[in-house]
Amino acid sequence: MDEIIQILEEIQPDGDYETCDTLIDDGILDSFAILSIVSELEDEFDIRITPADIIPENFNSAAALYEMVQRLQG
Amino acid sequence: MSFVSIEFMVFTAVCAAGYYMIPKKYQWVWLLVFSYVYYLAAGPSYLFFILFATTVTYLGGLWVEAGARWAVPAVLLADFGMLAFIKYTNFILGNINGLFGTNIRELKLLLPLGISFDTFQATGYLLDVHWKRCKAERNPFRFALFLAFFPQIMQGPIGRYSRLADQLYAEREFDIARIERGLYRIVWGFFKKIVIADNAVLYVDAIFDNYNTMPGYGIMGILLYGAQLYADFSGGIDIVIGIAEMLGITLDENFTQPFFATSITDFWHRWHITLGTWMKDYLFYPVSLSRWMGKFGKWSRTRFGKNIGRALPICLANIIVFLVVGIWHGPAWHNIFYGLYNGVIIGISGLLAKNYRDWKKKLNINKDSRLFYCFQVARTFILVNISWYLDRAGSTHQALIMLRDSITKFRIGVDMIDASSTWAGSAYAPLIAALFGCLVVLIHSILRERKVDIRALLIEKPVILRCLVLFLLLMSLVVIGNKPLSQGGFIYANF
Repeated sequence: MDEIIQILEEIQPDGDYETCDTLIDDGILDSFAILSIVSELEDEFDIRITPADIIPENFNSAAALYEMVQRLQG
Repeated sequence: MSFVSIEFMVFTAVCAAGYYMIPKKYQWVWLLVFSYVYYLAAGPSYLFFILFATTVTYLGGLWVEAGARWAVPAVLLADFGMLAFIKYTNFILGNINGLFGTNIRELKLLLPLGISFDTFQATGYLLDVHWKRCKAERNPFRFALFLAFFPQIMQGPIGRYSRLADQLYAEREFDIARIERGLYRIVWGFFKKIVIADNAVLYVDAIFDNYNTMPGYGIMGILLYGAQLYADFSGGIDIVIGIAEMLGITLDENFTQPFFATSITDFWHRWHITLGTWMKDYLFYPVSLSRWMGKFGKWSRTRFGKNIGRALPICLANIIVFLVVGIWHGPAWHNIFYGLYNGVIIGISGLLAKNYRDWKKKLNINKDSRLFYCFQVARTFILVNISWYLDRAGSTHQALIMLRDSITKFRIGVDMIDASSTWAGSAYAPLIAALFGCLVVLIHSILRERKVDIRALLIEKPVILRCLVLFLLLMSLVVIGNKPLSQGGFIYANF
């Protein structure tokens, strides 16, 4: 989880990633940021993220990202 | 049947009245019948295209859900193949003739009403089924309504099955407040179309058609073209959304005050939103996450380091997406350059995003200040207007000549149009009417930007005041609207 928050802070420094659960809905992460995050997650956790995974539910919070990573690793 | 016609108003009124009078379980069937009647009114041959897209995509959805891997590329090829054949065959033949000196005769091809909007909606559905974001529709007639819903046919907004389907098939009670909200939206759309777009087009056409003989009017022409394009397209969408609202159906918004955008990226988040989100979900992400782009990403990270290496593939994907947007705008090179212009600016902005943040810190710029916001809006407005030279001109050469003459031979005036040919017998009257309309839209946009729900406020007011507002809007159509051209179609209906 800490690694994911670190990635988010590095890519988009302005967000409150500990508590915010509307990162997509409130436009904090745009498509550029989403793809940068995908690229980092794929490298860091050795997973493959497909277009089917790019839905707001998976990117709205650090916790949602963590769940997606766990699911794709499983 | 143009939206701006008595026939269409009667057609819509009969559809809405009948919708609430028949048994509720047949309401969606009623909409389907009216949607096909609307298509039929355009010409029986048009029916072929909608039936083809409906049949192929309906069967494709079922096959994809049953696990047929071949069905996704096959249906995409069929849907986009038909669109490409109809829209681009003559463009390709023209270029072959130009390059090789051949004389291949161009084909006489019929461009069906809003074919690309239908194609996008159909292929979006197929990919949603493929990615398990929705289940395939089992009932072919229900699916037919999803693709043919008549207000959307001509110019969108491009609907998503997950948000639209249940609404189309729902059973609804008559609700006078909903009808009133829909009515305001429709009249507002007509105001934009008839008062702004149809007046502005007089000057825009004259300036762009006579750029050689009367040079220098470029800035006036492009500002009026921006007003015309926005009023025409967003006005048409207001009418579409208003009609759907009367039927209890909430369509996706297509515009959110685009002239307040702070960057080109932000502009495309506010302008033709349903096309932008379609491109993002079904082209940008698949291209960016494709295996070959992944390999390119790895190579660029090794070659250029983490930050630039990570951003480069995203920039490339942006340029590809906007190249497609440009091609979609029309089969001509100036449209392709229009797309590339947007794609390159967005790509470079993404590439330099980290540098921008650093520069702002070094220069001590407060990114939340009013002054910086105004600077961003003005900068975006100028960049967008430059792009519209490529969009409106008949060729890239014309766009470049007009851009040059806009500065070197700058002038404003109304002598490019014949006063006697205007509805008021004055060369100034349509311009003043269009500018008045723009002022009203600007005030409306400022309120919308501040999240004010103007229609909700209006509905709370006494009936007499509400009637007065409607009366004034309707009177403005009659008194300062451009009557002769108002029988014409909408710009985006040709897409």
